[in-house]
Amino acid sequence: MNRQTRPVTWRTPAGVLKARAFSSRLFDEHRSAWLLLIVFGVEVGLGILAMRDLLATYDEVESVCAGSVRGLRSIGELQYEAQEARRTTLYALTTNDGNLQVEYADQSRGADRFVTEGIMQYLAQSRIPRETEAGKRLASDWDAYLKARDDVLGLILEGSIKEAVRVDLTLGVALFDRVRQDLEEIKRLYDDQASQHLVLVTSSSRRSVLKLICGFGFALLFASAAIWAIQRNRMRNEVQLAKLQMDFVTSVSHELRTPITAILCASENLRDGFARRKEDLVEQGSIIVDQAAQLSGLVDQVLLFAATRTEPRYPLRPLQVSEIIASALKNMAVLLERSGFTVEQRIQQGLPQVVGDLQAISKCLQNLIENAVKYSPEERQIGLSARFDNSATDKKEVQISIQDRGFGISSSDLSRIFEPFFRSPRVVAAQIHGTGLGLSIAKSIVEAVGGRLSVVSEAGVGSTFTLHLPVAEGDAQPDTVRSAAGPGEATT
Amino acid sequence: MRLLRALLIWLAVVLLFDLPPHGSVEATAGLPERRNVPHEILAIIVNRSNPVKNLTFEELRKIFMGERSRWPNGHRVIVTMMEPGHPEREVMLRDVYRMTEKDYLDHFLKGTYTGDIPVSPKTLSSSDILRKFVFNAPGAIGYLRASDVDGSVKVVRIDGHLPDDLEYKLQIGGLGK
Repeated sequence: MNRQTRPVTWRTPAGVLKARAFSSRLFDEHRSAWLLLIVFGVEVGLGILAMRDLLATYDEVESVCAGSVRGLRSIGELQYEAQEARRTTLYALTTNDGNLQVEYADQSRGADRFVTEGIMQYLAQSRIPRETEAGKRLASDWDAYLKARDDVLGLILEGSIKEAVRVDLTLGVALFDRVRQDLEEIKRLYDDQASQHLVLVTSSSRRSVLKLICGFGFALLFASAAIWAIQRNRMRNEVQLAKLQMDFVTSVSHELRTPITAILCASENLRDGFARRKEDLVEQGSIIVDQAAQLSGLVDQVLLFAATRTEPRYPLRPLQVSEIIASALKNMAVLLERSGFTVEQRIQQGLPQVVGDLQAISKCLQNLIENAVKYSPEERQIGLSARFDNSATDKKEVQISIQDRGFGISSSDLSRIFEPFFRSPRVVAAQIHGTGLGLSIAKSIVEAVGGRLSVVSEAGVGSTFTLHLPVAEGDAQPDTVRSAAGPGEATT
Repeated sequence: MRLLRALLIWLAVVLLFDLPPHGSVEATAGLPERRNVPHEILAIIVNRSNPVKNLTFEELRKIFMGERSRWPNGHRVIVTMMEPGHPEREVMLRDVYRMTEKDYLDHFLKGTYTGDIPVSPKTLSSSDILRKFVFNAPGAIGYLRASDVDGSVKVVRIDGHLPDDLEYKLQIGGLGK
């Protein structure tokens, strides 16, 4: 079979569909606001990331500064204590009092212990070879100086002042100068390291700022482009809607003009006395009544469409499928009879009850039957079938299908047939009257009662529209299945 | 008579085993081990770099009298004394100098005046200062109560005896010679 089957189906449950429709409408209506919100969120996220970067940089700077300050302070203390060790040694030269000399010697040794411990600490904490090297050199020079210092102290205490001065000048001064240079070098090392750290931190900070600017720039650009696209799309939609509305007005005007013209002609005939006989009077009166009824139907459809636009709510109750079909056929009886159409019914026996509103679902079915009549110019037969479908695990449904052998729908139009005011160019060209609202109304109604509407169509072959109606709670098994009474399909 | 002879033999045996063997006497740094040492014993201390380990009592006396000016390593001998009034000083005056305070002062006044004594003793105010002085000065020699001695200075044997030996002579409280 080469039928082009392109089903347009909505298989999601009604609740989800409603929620989706609601969220979709909410998003559609406030698309720019949502976008701005998303962009704002992205900006806030970027801001937080950038702030974290900057705070980390700040912490690093603080840590570098603190480390540098601590290191420099330690070196300053070492310098001071080294000077103190030397100074107190020299103080011993200034007195002959053995007690004082011992006290100065004691102070000098206290200071030198502090320096020695400081050097050991520095060596233990040194991380790079330059630091270790400088620390070892300092330790070695300090030991050498301490030996000289001990000699000087010993000589002072022994009373050999001249010898003490000589040793200090020849040995002590030179060795202490080396210690001082070593300490200065360590100080420079601290400075260098702090400078290097700061350079790194500055570059990292610059990178963070650059990232932030790029992020903000990109987000703003993206937001601008998206808003522009949204607005453009919205404008297009509005233009399209305006066009559709204009088409609708034209179409409705045309639809209105025909019956009005007929009513006008019949009324003029009556007024001008062209219809004097009883049969003529009845004929003219019938024209007026029929055309007025057509007008009324048109107005009803427009009003119904307006009503379905604002989330229609129907009182839902269990319905017999036969009840729905009977109601629809009864309402369409005149049309079918006048058009000369016969309805071939294939109703599965023992169908379960469905949930819905009789009038609303009947109206859906009527719209589908009316379309089948309208778009089947040659074949005067319509198929109407109803069957139970329990293939879906989550939801069981009854499918009521209207099948015609009319124009069919081209694949390009198939995706748009449920849009309000849409009328296929082929149909317009064929001068088939209509408002383009029937399918849109049917879809809105069936979805409002928790069902869905699908279509299978092929251009030139015909179309099958199917109403999928949810089975009422507690009635999910058809009688035939319950009683295992065979396939149970009936043809009327 | 037999009893007296046995007593004398026992005494001789005890002395023979108790005395340190001649020539093997060595000084030790500080007092690592004390056997019931009374705190009144005076230890003679020198700087740890001083090679001298043992002095005879006469050598000690000469050093403290100012009659010896250099140590074997060439360092000048610096005698340290505590200020008058300290019991340690009194023991030194009595047992080493065998002089009164006045005789001691006169001796050094005369000696320095005549040039016989190059340097008079350093007078220090406390045992702590004295110990530190000896620790700092390579040629210093001094004295401390045995209980005040620590590892910063070296105790010298006198006549081969350390302060914890029974034959050690310098004791505060007149137990010495």
